[in-house]
Amino acid sequence: MSSSAIAIDLPTERIVNNKLTDKKLPGDLAMWFFILAELTVFAIFFIGFAVSEQLNIEIFAQGKAQLHQTSGLINTIALITSSFFVALALSAMHKSQAKKAVFLILVAKVFALIYISVKIWEYFSLFEQGITIETNTFFTLYFLITAFHLMHVLLGMVILSFIAHSAWHNKYQSKDLSGFEAGASYWHMVDLLWIVLFPLIYVI
Amino acid sequence: MQNDKTLKHAISSWLLLIALTIISIFLTNFIENRSVYIISALLIVIVKGQQIVDVFMELNKAPRFWRLLLLSYIVLIPLIIAIIYLV
Repeated sequence: MSSSAIAIDLPTERIVNNKLTDKKLPGDLAMWFFILAELTVFAIFFIGFAVSEQLNIEIFAQGKAQLHQTSGLINTIALITSSFFVALALSAMHKSQAKKAVFLILVAKVFALIYISVKIWEYFSLFEQGITIETNTFFTLYFLITAFHLMHVLLGMVILSFIAHSAWHNKYQSKDLSGFEAGASYWHMVDLLWIVLFPLIYVI
Repeated sequence: MQNDKTLKHAISSWLLLIALTIISIFLTNFIENRSVYIISALLIVIVKGQQIVDVFMELNKAPRFWRLLLLSYIVLIPLIIAIIYLV
């Protein structure tokens, strides 16, 4: 490769790879831009929630008291554990253990299903009390933010299914797992968002 | 060898995340001052976020720009929330 070719490739390549230290961004750039976009949207939601709370302190305090903190705790543990198994799956892929990785992804999805089940139970529990998205500002934001996050969990499960399917059919090479890493990174983003969401909406 | 180290790191991180989650629920039992409580809860968020960014997302092995970008998110958002609640 000529030095001029290296000079042309380097700026873009530096964004993804740092040749001096062999550090590589896991996954692919497109997924990371998508992740950054999602994080930005949720940042706006989180800040908006915090500001609304300061303008409606009593309504928010009453609203939080009506939430099931235990279900929020279960969901946090479920998502963290799910994320953990996805990290283990990637580790297995690095060792060229694709079938093991698929099994670990399935375990991760079981924990995700626990999250989804508890979340749906929580929603219906509130509906039974006559609480809906129109009840007050707190519950409008509660349903909007948590439902939006739930949609990301569902999309994440589709992505996990896709990477598991690809891994099962040996579509990844141990030296190039960018597709698998991208899917795993998206799932960890979903977990990361809940890490902020849970204390903000349920605890503080 | 590197993968075993990564595996042990992931397990330690998971245990820390679970422990911090449980601690955050019981914080009100230990901290009466609301400002201290909020700061403590949000500090826990930052530590948990750092574990997910560095260990689960493996950005501790990524180019510094990306690692700092994600870490700054997990520091900045709780910081902004703390300012909104406390100021």
